[in-house]
Amino acid sequence: MGGLFTETFVASLLFGAVTVGIPLLLAGLGEQISEKSGVLNIGIEGMMLIGAYGGFVAAYYTGSFWLGFLAGGISGMVVASLMVLFCVILSMNQIVIGIALTIGAEGLTALLHHFQFSRSYPRLSEAPSLDIPGLNDIPVIGPAFFERHPLVYLSILLVVFVAWLFRRTHIGLNLQAAGDNPAALDAAGVDVKLTRAGAVLTTGMLAGIGGAFMANVGAGIFVPFMIHGAGFIGIVLAMLARGNPYWVLLGAALFGASLALTTALQVAGLNIPTDVVQMLPFAMVIVVLVLFARHSYLPPSLALPYHRGER
Amino acid sequence: MRDLLGKTIRHAAIAGLALGALVAVSVGAQAGDMVKKIAVLVPEQGTDYGWNQQGVDAARAVAEKYGLEFLPAEGLGYGDVRPTLRELADEGASLMIAHASGYNTAAPEIAQETGVPVAIVDKPDGLVAGLVGDYTLSGHDGAYLAGMLAAKMSRTGTVGIVVSGEPPSWNSQSAGFAMGVRATGMGTQIVYAVIGPAAYGDAAGGRRVTESVISAGADVIFGQGNGSSFGMIQAVETTKAVDGGKAWFIDVIGDKTGLDKGHLLSSVLWDMIPVYSAMVEDLNSGKFGTVGYKIGLADDSVRLLKTKHIPDDIWESLMKVRQQIIDGSVPVAEVYDAEDVRALMTSVEAPAAE
Repeated sequence: MGGLFTETFVASLLFGAVTVGIPLLLAGLGEQISEKSGVLNIGIEGMMLIGAYGGFVAAYYTGSFWLGFLAGGISGMVVASLMVLFCVILSMNQIVIGIALTIGAEGLTALLHHFQFSRSYPRLSEAPSLDIPGLNDIPVIGPAFFERHPLVYLSILLVVFVAWLFRRTHIGLNLQAAGDNPAALDAAGVDVKLTRAGAVLTTGMLAGIGGAFMANVGAGIFVPFMIHGAGFIGIVLAMLARGNPYWVLLGAALFGASLALTTALQVAGLNIPTDVVQMLPFAMVIVVLVLFARHSYLPPSLALPYHRGER
Repeated sequence: MRDLLGKTIRHAAIAGLALGALVAVSVGAQAGDMVKKIAVLVPEQGTDYGWNQQGVDAARAVAEKYGLEFLPAEGLGYGDVRPTLRELADEGASLMIAHASGYNTAAPEIAQETGVPVAIVDKPDGLVAGLVGDYTLSGHDGAYLAGMLAAKMSRTGTVGIVVSGEPPSWNSQSAGFAMGVRATGMGTQIVYAVIGPAAYGDAAGGRRVTESVISAGADVIFGQGNGSSFGMIQAVETTKAVDGGKAWFIDVIGDKTGLDKGHLLSSVLWDMIPVYSAMVEDLNSGKFGTVGYKIGLADDSVRLLKTKHIPDDIWESLMKVRQQIIDGSVPVAEVYDAEDVRALMTSVEAPAAE
């Protein structure tokens, strides 16, 4: 089976790892922003699913991947606005609302898909790529990392931007304060609910774009329930990352690489139970959790609604 | 006094006979029309050109055939279906077909709770007389033909199997496919990959894994996987084989010809109407839950889809083998265990003697 591990095959594995990693990265970054502000966004799976549907519909009818991502982001924000209404404004339980949003999104997208696409199952063409001159010629790595849709590069740059936002800007400080000590933020004259609402809407946008990426670039098609837990993995990555966006990037890369490795091990014909191989990405996350969870930082006001004047 | 006693006994005997006759007629009528409403529960919409659609369409057809009320419950997902089962039981379902292996824990529980018979999949040892029936369907003999077809059509000498899980039905088809490949004696290699644990709706995963399998040399993909199979098709349509030529796709259960963009080589088609018909008849005759149900080549409940891409000479040779399988001269073993399936894949590396 060693002969199967050609340059083309390994490049394909790496290509797949990046494709898996980008939606996780976007979801993880979004969740990190939300959690930093004190909102535990369990509904991110539903936001991704709605984003996948909205993004696919837009890309299919307009032929533009960019409009697809835009529509995905807006769709995610629409779901996030419900989270804002129920959890930030009406102070309802964030976990219950998050679960409800996910279940609702599953039902809604399945229904819409049923009426719109279930007889035709349209597929998109191959996503256009932006080749980075000089780098895309590198064997194996070039096609996997430097012949990608521009959104891949933008997603990586977004990590740097979010890190800068957290550390160097008032917005980052406000987010941190909204999660750590919302009363202090309020006393400083900053609207806590507005800060949290902005964070949740940003999460919805990023999750929606991630979902649209999954549908348009990852699958080239929308099918019901297609997010398949990526949103929940994004939540885990955000929690492990201890408020550091670079750790989200590392976690997403690790998970994508583990998934690629599971395919490689199977293709190699390794005669061990597939369940064991398939467990690898999740085991990897658990190992990281065990190693680093004790250092993980969660905002003290996470998942707690803010009521002005309440001690 | 003796007269009165005799009269009483006579009247009692007549009343007893009349009551007995009434009960017998009533029971007979109940047995004859025990099934009034048939319900089917599927995890995805019944429009997937595959497992879900075949299940819903077959149940609908059987309902029409026997004049029954049809209660479909589609798009239920892979979570807890107990509330839906209870609801269907409340609506008066006489038989609930729980059409997903993920439902075969909940469905028997609700059957015990409500007394409404259920049919479950992939649990042949779960039979309960009158209450729980099983249909562990397998198109392994059809998959055997598909394996022969794949080997004969492959240019690269490597074919791939991509599955979105390892339920018994798909294991046996994967094994049947591998045995078919071996039977050609062409030394064709088989690359086997599972997308993920129960990744039935993971279209992105289906595409990713299929692209990798094609990159590993496979130019014919045998794909099994509900919604994820659309990702596999997308991969086949957008990825060239390592020789620069076209990659082919062999589907299972349903017929996706209407969606094909020129890459659908064939499909191992399933027809569940005979199975569901047998369930209704067994319920009416009181045999339900005493035997499992199967499909096969002999009654065309399993058959290979003929597309324009299959050369006539290859098709004719396949039909000859089909007849030999039906005759019993070419036995195709049913392999349901995942470990045995994997062992079969690696052993395929050595060319088998014709």
